[in-house]
Amino acid sequence: MTHQFDLEAEIQRLLTEHDRVAEQGITVQHRENVVVLGGEVESAQRRDEICRQIATHFPDLEITCDIGITRAQAPAEVEEIS
Amino acid sequence: MIRIAAVGDVHVDKDVVGRYRPALEELPDRADALLIAGDLTRHGTVEEAKCFATEFGGLRVPVVVVLGNHDHQSDQQEQVTEVLTDAGITVLEGSATVLELHGHRLGIAGTKGFGGGFAGACASNFGEREMKEFVETTEVLSRRLGEALRSVECDALVALTHYSPVPETLVGEPLEIYAFLGCYQLGQAIDSAHTTLALHGHAHHGSERGRTPGGVPVRNVAHPVIKQAYNVYQLLSEEVDARLVPA
Repeated sequence: MTHQFDLEAEIQRLLTEHDRVAEQGITVQHRENVVVLGGEVESAQRRDEICRQIATHFPDLEITCDIGITRAQAPAEVEEIS
Repeated sequence: MIRIAAVGDVHVDKDVVGRYRPALEELPDRADALLIAGDLTRHGTVEEAKCFATEFGGLRVPVVVVLGNHDHQSDQQEQVTEVLTDAGITVLEGSATVLELHGHRLGIAGTKGFGGGFAGACASNFGEREMKEFVETTEVLSRRLGEALRSVECDALVALTHYSPVPETLVGEPLEIYAFLGCYQLGQAIDSAHTTLALHGHAHHGSERGRTPGGVPVRNVAHPVIKQAYNVYQLLSEEVDARLVPA
């Protein structure tokens, strides 16, 4: 049986080491049989691939995805460095 | 006055091409140069480097970068560097460059850097060969950054790294992984020169602002931290104008 801490570690390694994901900035919280994913990625395709890979490798888990897409608008302010 | 734009951890691949471009087209109206603090790509392949060069190349301002750990994933960092250099992008690793901007000399020295940790919780050059190699890598890259910083004659000096030189900009990350996110030796290197500003990335859940023990301002410009295409920093100010949008 996989313990909770092992499961979180296995998911984080999967997300980092899988060729189609390569994400190190995703948080994984395991609550009973629900995994809550957090963090931000650069595209909706990457977010969807993360959920797809976890669902494939851990089919019994329910996934809640709170992963956002990092905004890429131009800034409106400058910071003076002194 | 010099204005520099900065971001890190953009992780470009085919699916990202075009996302940054509208903001980048406006960049020359807002800043005089663009600095990127590593993790330019997802896996460090030549194809991804070409995507990065397409997205971040061809601007009307100089672009200076360091590589990050993602850019080493495929062991093609030399080819990646070549693609970027061919696209007119300056890649720093234990080296420095000087940009002439509005009659001022902006010096930029950079390295990817490495982990190792900070005071009270750092790795030591002791024990297994693997551990000694880890810390030796930290020390060599940090020493080269210090040498590069001290070699430059300029009006303002920026240190550009991927890994963090201070723990303050890691706040928000789990304490357990600080040693994989940066090292105090980078901070020592930055403090060994007249550094004006230190920029880094890598810590997606970290904090934006910190200072080295010597008082140099540090900014974590990882894209998920700044939450916009790039930040703009003003150096050598004569007067402050916080507006960026042209009147």
